[in-house]
Amino acid sequence: MRYELFIALRHIKARKRQTILSVAAIGIAVMILMVSQAFMAGFTQEIYQTTVANLPHVVVSPQEGEDYIHLYGNIVREVNSIEGVVASSPYLIGEASFRYRDKTANAALKGVVPPEEEAVAHVSKDVIEGDFEELAYSRRGIVIGDDLARRLGLQMGDSVEVSFPNANTLSLRVIAIYDTGTPADESLIYTSLGTAQDFYGTADVINGISLRLADFNQDREVASIIREEGYRADGWTQNNPEILQTLAIERSSNQVTLGFILLIASFGVVSTLNMVVMSKLKETGILMAMGMSRSGIRLVFLLESGILGLAGAVLGALAGTVIALSVGSYPLPEGVYGISSIPVIVRPTDVFLIITVVFLLNLIAGIYPAQRAASLDPVKAISTR
Amino acid sequence: MPETIVEIKKVTKIYTLGANKIYALNKVSAKIEKGDFVTIMGSSGSGKSTLLNMLGCLDLPTSGKVLINNTDLSNLDDDGLTSLRRNNIGFIFQQFNLIQTLTAVENVEIPMIFNGASPQKRRKRALKLLQKAQLPPEYAHHKPNELSGGQQQRVAIARALANNPPILLADEPTGNLDTKTGHGVMELLRELNQAGTTVIVVTHDPRMEEYSRTTIRLQDGEIVNEDT
Repeated sequence: MRYELFIALRHIKARKRQTILSVAAIGIAVMILMVSQAFMAGFTQEIYQTTVANLPHVVVSPQEGEDYIHLYGNIVREVNSIEGVVASSPYLIGEASFRYRDKTANAALKGVVPPEEEAVAHVSKDVIEGDFEELAYSRRGIVIGDDLARRLGLQMGDSVEVSFPNANTLSLRVIAIYDTGTPADESLIYTSLGTAQDFYGTADVINGISLRLADFNQDREVASIIREEGYRADGWTQNNPEILQTLAIERSSNQVTLGFILLIASFGVVSTLNMVVMSKLKETGILMAMGMSRSGIRLVFLLESGILGLAGAVLGALAGTVIALSVGSYPLPEGVYGISSIPVIVRPTDVFLIITVVFLLNLIAGIYPAQRAASLDPVKAISTR
Repeated sequence: MPETIVEIKKVTKIYTLGANKIYALNKVSAKIEKGDFVTIMGSSGSGKSTLLNMLGCLDLPTSGKVLINNTDLSNLDDDGLTSLRRNNIGFIFQQFNLIQTLTAVENVEIPMIFNGASPQKRRKRALKLLQKAQLPPEYAHHKPNELSGGQQQRVAIARALANNPPILLADEPTGNLDTKTGHGVMELLRELNQAGTTVIVVTHDPRMEEYSRTTIRLQDGEIVNEDT
């Protein structure tokens, strides 16, 4: 064992109370960092699972200057052959006015091929009454969001009058009600593609294709491949920039706050080490007189800082992991928050990164007190009482 | 012809206090021969501790030269001074200056650790040195605050001998001891000197002169006479 380490460990052992306080300060900061990081990772994944996973990852729109995609079978076949595309759903969407008794509301009417829409958007899992797939067999059926149904006073089996300028007024029956917990519940109604085409009085055309990808991070690449075919295509990150913005804002505000917490903890180490340097003036002078070099003295205090940092980081990471996992396994009341437990993810890379960064930060924080100790005048230091 | 182990040539040390310049040493020259027992005497503020710090490579002169074993201190950088100090000089202080968190034997081991001695070797030598310094063996694993003043000074002497230095510097080694214990410590230094170590003692106690062969008297930073 190098003598610098021997002396550093002696210092640490000799002042147990200060050591415990220093390690605790760093440990608590790291613990907060760990818990927060685990929540952030869980929150991000939850956002992806609840929103991005159900969003169309890429939306294909008609060519420039066109309102519809004609003979869409070709383009559907083409997009399905692109690597990474796992499902596609052609649709015809437009605005419509819904009237039931004395209540009216405007919403989007989306005509889809139910099994294909199901493969892309997983509508069925949000259906609270009825069956989404029944749209395939019911030519005059609609699947409506629970908020819009409530606003119009609609129940399962009720028929609603759908109209719009230049459209053919139809009477459509509610065959299912869904609840996604998003604004779509009040603004989007599904029907079959054929019904929508009847309503808008079009031929067998569509005005969009939703795609589902194996990896939703590939959205821009797939969209650019489709654009090369002359169609307009946008990934979910282009259609929903607010999701990425929300995550980026959350992540950066989180990181700034945590950075400050770590900085404060590191300043705690600097001040503790400064006190140690002051309390060890005489001893440092004696060690110099006994033949210890200035670089050796510097290394002793750097090692102390590093050891305190490492101990705090490891203990804090351990405590943070335990707390995060405990919070994550705590069951939330069903149906209140839409999730069964607080989403938490402890990633080994995060743990390793946090421990490394805290250790390095403490080594850096130790430079000033270590340098101060190393530049002591041994004569003055020895005569300190 | 006797070999010179320490030589100081026109050494001046000036401390600046505000606008005032204080001459702690003023053009002091002296030679100390190998194997000599020297007392540096003088009243408080005469410059004797300043001189001792320079001989111990802990301080450098404002002007003049200090040569230890023919090595000019002014030619050495910080590491060079540390190395010279580690291999040539053993320090004994009035306040003993033991490290309170270490046991007696660990204190003696410290200079050997700096020299890279193995744990077994340094422990064996430290115990032998404590025995040589006449510390009862049962106190070897006690911490300094569990030892009497005389015992602490014996540990400090054992520590000063750790790397077998040719020069032993003692700053008022009996200052904190009663007369009997003080004489015991001086006897020990005499024995070490007889075994070949050059001993340089700073003291203001005239009774210590009986142990030395050479006395350097300092007054107001100047040597007033050198008796051999």
